[in-house]
Amino acid sequence: MIRVLLEDSGMSRRFVPQPLRLARALALALAAAALAIGAPAAAHHSFAVHFVADKLIDVSGTVTEFSFRNPHGLLALTAKDANGKDQQWKIETNSPNILRRRGWSETSIKPGDLVTVEGYPARDGSNFMRVYRVTFPDGRELVGQRPDPTVPSGKD
Amino acid sequence: MRAPHGLLRLLVLAAACAAPLCASAAPNLESFWTPKLERARSGQALIDELPKAAVLINDTGAGELAAGDFAGLKLKPSAIEQVKAYDYKQELKRENTCNAPSVAFFMQAPFPMEVYQDEKLIVLKMEYFDLYRVIFLDGRPHPPADAPHSKSGHSVGHWDGDTLVVDTTHIESGTFMNNGFNHSDALHMVERFRMSPDGKTLWLTQLYDDPATFDGLAARYMAWTRKAGDHVYPYDCDPSYGE
Repeated sequence: MIRVLLEDSGMSRRFVPQPLRLARALALALAAAALAIGAPAAAHHSFAVHFVADKLIDVSGTVTEFSFRNPHGLLALTAKDANGKDQQWKIETNSPNILRRRGWSETSIKPGDLVTVEGYPARDGSNFMRVYRVTFPDGRELVGQRPDPTVPSGKD
Repeated sequence: MRAPHGLLRLLVLAAACAAPLCASAAPNLESFWTPKLERARSGQALIDELPKAAVLINDTGAGELAAGDFAGLKLKPSAIEQVKAYDYKQELKRENTCNAPSVAFFMQAPFPMEVYQDEKLIVLKMEYFDLYRVIFLDGRPHPPADAPHSKSGHSVGHWDGDTLVVDTTHIESGTFMNNGFNHSDALHMVERFRMSPDGKTLWLTQLYDDPATFDGLAARYMAWTRKAGDHVYPYDCDPSYGE
């Protein structure tokens, strides 16, 4: 994993190579096939299909929105890129039902909070990830989906 | 014949309860059950009772199959076409976000359930997508083949010693593996529920037969831990996710 430090209000962002050009090409091919055949999506959202399970990236920035509703919570974040330009990130959480039992609530994260989010990158290389852990400047942590090589990544 | 009463009734009940399938002697599954994350399968004995030819799908609980991995099942041509057409990004659209999977997939999701039990009926209240199941133990048959199908299907069950055997048909076509492989509405599922001797663990195997989408038989194994006194949370799926 390549790590690039960015000037961002004293916070940093790790960077990984754009994942999987092949996966993107495959996704486009599948999308084209779906248009041709018109098959409906009847599957519930899959972690393994959307995210890279064996990579972690992290992004730091200011929370603009936190939604804590099923099937997944969603955290929106404004971070800075290498040129100081704003970048919008979306971070998916596990099901809020699962997270409530891990200590999360609707008010765990608020707009305006400065946070660092570690998570699993989207396979399509977009600014989208699945949360592993949210860390606050005071050291407080919220753990979503813990990486554990003995337990496959979750679909919750 | 008049219904027996008094001492005769007691004698009839006593005789009935001596039978192997006596409902009142059935294990009591009623409780809150939360998914058990196991590194080793504590219910291996139940798995060993599956037909040897059945393909065990290893994606239960927190597990998942990657894109293109169908656990070694041989898909029928129509299923291969369906999988090729799968676009995972469609799942994030409003019309699909809250499209719950069927009983052939939702039982293994990593969410808890409440079980309510009577001699003639068992109800499973699932946290996942606020789904529920009704399992009839009163000997009724399945409805006609052309009756409406649903996410939970139509389930009839009986006790085979300490094991609850449930036969389910009329399952609406839906997710079989959440990497794009759907089962047909002709799927037939047979389940075997069994508690551990200490009553702390509930095991389940599901055996699937769906000749419209794959050859042979497939199966899943899952396990839950008893957590008496707890309850499921509302799911209240929000279709706006992903917008």
